[in-house]
Amino acid sequence: MALLQIAEPGQAAAAPEARRAIGIDLGTTNSLVATLRESKPDVLVDAAGSVSLPSVVNYSSPGRVSVGADALALAVQYPADTLASVKRFMGRGQQDARDEARRSHYILAEGEAGMVEFVTSSGRISPVQASAEILNTLRKRAESVLGGDIDGAVITVPAYFDEAQRQATKDAATLAGLPVLRLLNEPTAAAVAYGLESAQQGMIAVYDLGGGTFDISILRLHRDVFEVRSTGGDTALGGDDFDNVIADWVLGEINCGPLDAGQHRQLQALARAAKETLSEDEVAIIPLDEIADKGAQLTLSRTTFEGLIQPWVKRTLHACRRALRDAELAPGDIDSIVLVGGSTRIPLVRNAVADFFQREPLAGINPDEVVAIGAALQADILVGNRPEGELLLLDVIPLSLGIETMGGLVEKIIQRNTTIPVTRAQQFTTYQDGQTALALHIVQGERELVADSRSLARFELKGIPPMVAGAARILVSFQVDADGLLSVSAHEETTGARSSIVVKPSFGLSDEQISTMLEASFSHAEEDKTARVLAELCVSARALIAGLEIALAADGEELLDSEERAALNEQMERLRAQLSGGEVEPLRAASDELGRASEAFAARRMDKSIRQALAGVSVDDIAQEINK
Amino acid sequence: MALPDLQQNYFQLFKLPEQFALNGADLGERFRQMQSQSHPDRFASKSPHEQRVAVQYSALVNQAYSILRKPLPRALYLLELAGMDKEQVAAQKMDGGFLIEQMDLREKLESIHDLVDPDAFLEHLIIEIAADIKSHEQEFSSAFTDRDLNGAASACVKIQYLEKLLQEAEQIESGLLG
Repeated sequence: MALLQIAEPGQAAAAPEARRAIGIDLGTTNSLVATLRESKPDVLVDAAGSVSLPSVVNYSSPGRVSVGADALALAVQYPADTLASVKRFMGRGQQDARDEARRSHYILAEGEAGMVEFVTSSGRISPVQASAEILNTLRKRAESVLGGDIDGAVITVPAYFDEAQRQATKDAATLAGLPVLRLLNEPTAAAVAYGLESAQQGMIAVYDLGGGTFDISILRLHRDVFEVRSTGGDTALGGDDFDNVIADWVLGEINCGPLDAGQHRQLQALARAAKETLSEDEVAIIPLDEIADKGAQLTLSRTTFEGLIQPWVKRTLHACRRALRDAELAPGDIDSIVLVGGSTRIPLVRNAVADFFQREPLAGINPDEVVAIGAALQADILVGNRPEGELLLLDVIPLSLGIETMGGLVEKIIQRNTTIPVTRAQQFTTYQDGQTALALHIVQGERELVADSRSLARFELKGIPPMVAGAARILVSFQVDADGLLSVSAHEETTGARSSIVVKPSFGLSDEQISTMLEASFSHAEEDKTARVLAELCVSARALIAGLEIALAADGEELLDSEERAALNEQMERLRAQLSGGEVEPLRAASDELGRASEAFAARRMDKSIRQALAGVSVDDIAQEINK
Repeated sequence: MALPDLQQNYFQLFKLPEQFALNGADLGERFRQMQSQSHPDRFASKSPHEQRVAVQYSALVNQAYSILRKPLPRALYLLELAGMDKEQVAAQKMDGGFLIEQMDLREKLESIHDLVDPDAFLEHLIIEIAADIKSHEQEFSSAFTDRDLNGAASACVKIQYLEKLLQEAEQIESGLLG
């Protein structure tokens, strides 16, 4: 029985020409950009015809940044100025980054809010800035192919990325001048690509082993809805680790003095080449002319290699087991397996995954491109290029969110694998007479002690009216939006004196920092800011009026009384009058006012469409009863 | 004019009867239909105000679904609707047999590090606990149907005990795996 479809009138009017939407896979080792052309996904190539952009940025000559293959070519000569695998440093403090840095030859420093920065010949560079260079290169590539500005981008992140890592990614996109429609989890993107390609239904496990991160996601595809059931992983486990064990093995086999930074980079490259060879061949020869003596070489067999990486592969399977348990499923319940990431080319990895899930993985789409393709599909939907009713993604938060309580313990407010968006409120009280402020410390992770968790933000709620201990009722609300980003607000309820605060987690860049960086960098520097702001406001005000008119024509009579209709019409007129006024502030105010006034109408329309949708289910339900 | 009523009864929101037994497939279908109408992705190119309404609605639907979907939260929610709050539920006395069983399971869990193959043993133990939870869900269902709220509450407390144990077992497991 077909369910009642609610037509969204706004959509029909907005479809005349396709908007330019792109999907970006911002990877640890390589990054890609894809788009939809004539409804077919297409991974875009650069001028030299290559699809993947190495995620490498070189800062050796001040004032001139090089990105991709050009930067990679400078890595041996300028190890400290050539930033590779920066994704592993995104949203990380210096403490967290120490282990990562041990391997690399970067000089680290502490930047804003304790975040790590690299010291280069061009000054201090944050991982966010380096990522922005990569995104900017891909943006330009897409603009030249598509012939104009990008209307919206979906950028993928590992499902297991925490709040800080997500925020850092979003900051990098802003810095690169990309309008972000959504941060999308990489395994979800891969599932979308496969789901649309082959209409796979049922339970899907996505095993994503990339250069630096591992993700496992369990999803259910039912008609056009992807529901992520659970996700797990490790943001510091990937193909880079396999390179490292090979490099360590080499150093154990030969006797050589301490390597310099350039030799270290070379050894990493040799290790990587050997790893790639072993996906095809039984043995790999590692030439060591530059590292040990002239003519020296080592032979690494696939068996030895598999022994070396076994512990890492085992760790990924344990994460798979936990994700299955979170989804309340057994390995045999999975209908299809999707492999993502270059590291899944390793035979040991493929076999281990197939054994674990008792099923052969799907292999229709190139594992290096599948994430970018899925992101492009989602971008196309979000930007409004597709008729309504197609494909919906319901994703989850990967790590629990909580708050510090007495004794350094964590009280979880939102559990991991909760579907987003989500809002949760929790009540707190004062513990001293006359207490007028309450400090809140927000943390993320599964551990019970604050000391073992990731600290996200600290903020203080001030202005609590003095009362006896325990009398205040402080409601703290957490909201995680569809990007997986958190905002927290708090207010005191008893006295009617409401004060509330929205925190942006302390690791993120402030809006001010971003705009300063934007001005200092490549984009929009010479444009007239006011004119741009005014133009943008006019566009959104016109869209607001147009949308509201359509909504009023459709549901105004039914859902609003004549007084409410008159009030909305009046506010609409006021906004129309401001459109020709040419002044920013009154236009913004009139826009906000009309927007706020229309929210309740929007809510009633939502109520109505939900009621109608459920009426459809009830019919199904009866059919199901009869079939029993 | 008001925004979505965040206090509304989740069963009513899903247009379902207030009872423990429910058809999971049907609940899932209702959930997906409601999200198809309210998810922020459906409003990605609309005004920020419409997006705000969508986030609130979608979050409410998610919240209701998360309570109704899993047996223990659903059971506690039914007790709450029947007028029994969390403190009253927690105050239920446990029978001796159950407590001894708990101590036994806990001892097994604590001795796990001395075993030759803790991995396999833990997997077993986790399955055993899960089966126990299932049987207490049955206990809740019949007590609640008979309007025996105390009996139903005591089944809930048992499930809470077991779920806590299950969590600890899983924590130990992830510790073992390092």
